[in-house]
Amino acid sequence: MDRERFGERLTQFFFPITSDRWLSILRWGLALQVCLYGLSLRRDWSFLYATGRGLIDRALTEQLFSLESLFTPRMGWLVRLGIFLGFSETRVLDFIWMALVIAGCCLGLGLLCRSAAISAWLLHLCSVKSGGMMSYGMDNFTTIGLFYLMVAPLPDEYSLDHQWRKWQTKNPRLHGFFRRGLQLHLCFIYFFGGMTKSLGTGWWNGESVWRALTCPPFNIIAPQNLIVFRHFFPLVGIMICLLEAGYPVFIWLKKTRLVWLAGILGMHIGIAMTMGMYLFASIMIILNLAAFGPGLLHAEREGTSLWPQEVA
Amino acid sequence: MDRRYIYLACGAVHFFIIFSASCRDSFWLLSQGYSFLPRSLDETWRKAQTVASAALGEHLSSNNPVRQFIAAYAHCAGIQSGYGYFAPNVPDSYKVVFEFRYPDGRTEVDLPHVGAAAAGLRLAALLDRIGENRSDQLREAVIKMLAQSVWRDHPGAISARAVFGYIKLPTTAEFLRDKTESYQVLYSYDFSFESGPAGSKAP
Repeated sequence: MDRERFGERLTQFFFPITSDRWLSILRWGLALQVCLYGLSLRRDWSFLYATGRGLIDRALTEQLFSLESLFTPRMGWLVRLGIFLGFSETRVLDFIWMALVIAGCCLGLGLLCRSAAISAWLLHLCSVKSGGMMSYGMDNFTTIGLFYLMVAPLPDEYSLDHQWRKWQTKNPRLHGFFRRGLQLHLCFIYFFGGMTKSLGTGWWNGESVWRALTCPPFNIIAPQNLIVFRHFFPLVGIMICLLEAGYPVFIWLKKTRLVWLAGILGMHIGIAMTMGMYLFASIMIILNLAAFGPGLLHAEREGTSLWPQEVA
Repeated sequence: MDRRYIYLACGAVHFFIIFSASCRDSFWLLSQGYSFLPRSLDETWRKAQTVASAALGEHLSSNNPVRQFIAAYAHCAGIQSGYGYFAPNVPDSYKVVFEFRYPDGRTEVDLPHVGAAAAGLRLAALLDRIGENRSDQLREAVIKMLAQSVWRDHPGAISARAVFGYIKLPTTAEFLRDKTESYQVLYSYDFSFESGPAGSKAP
């Protein structure tokens, strides 16, 4: 009996009935992210990914990456295919960039959602892995978002696939499962980020905040202007540690959920404004809004919320 | 069998990899002595890191199919690494400066540059990776590539010296005493490109 009850509660937790609004937010957000990613690198695309005439030879980064994984897609595979079909490397790189932006646009419209999600994930992954030494946190989070989108139960209610082509939306419990996956993943991200920060003295005395804001290339505010706020740095550092390490607890409690989400979003907006990491901030905001946004202010249409006991 | 159990099993594997990768990278940070925890625990963190790595199959030979499958899945899902950004403390940032020499004895100093700010963040990430890298050969090879990319703007130069170092930032107290950032040299390399930089037009 107890085993049955446990299984039931487990099912309720991992398969809550949820609307597909989270998926719409994720799809729109990632469409914007992919387009901005592509547009921000347009001028440097060939310079970053070309072999022998770019910043770093792509062949070297791909060889280094092969030491970690032999079977993860990379740009070299697509370039080789293009050259086999008779195109030059430059043309293939241009085509990859264009295909990435088109996949982003299709995602935004919700047109051929699944194919667009797979294409965007694949092309973005190839560019990230081939530029391995030049990638940073934002790339990883975009891959995470695109991976969840690719395996999620598409299409959603607001997509053209549903509105125009009349493709049916999927089981609400399946939506609940994938949304729960994204929620739990964010809890891991913030918990480990917050915990490791908490173990450094710099975040408690505010020095890490000062260093983060003054170290190149994040030093977009002159240190002479920043130093005026030095008395607030310890407070900001402690707040960041608390927000991140406390996320897996306080984001689930009804009373603190709104405050915590607002705090986390505020932190990412702050990172964008003070450190110039706009794409990093946008992907984190998108993931948070998709995971915990729907149903936050108003109960969702099905009358369900995030925590299992609220599910009938 | 209920399909929900298949979803749950896949989810469990997915989160096991996330947890293991996060633990591995966090333990690595701790084992380097970057935290305020006692240094006597470093060995314990190293052992814990080995256990977490083993959970990801990293103790297996590099061509082992299980290791390769886990690595491929982790990279495809974006879960191959942990989330200790700027942790436990904010690291130093690195910088490389090139000095190009011309046949007439003239010298010009230049930095690696990219077109837009978004690529600038990638350049900074690349310099961090070079700085953290322990392989001298790889470091030299990558810096040489950077030198070649900058040399295209200096086609008449016959040799280049690359000086790689880190930027030592002042603390808030030091900044109040008018101390500014300083450049600490770590490595320097001399390159001569007899046939001209790769991809450049002949001078």
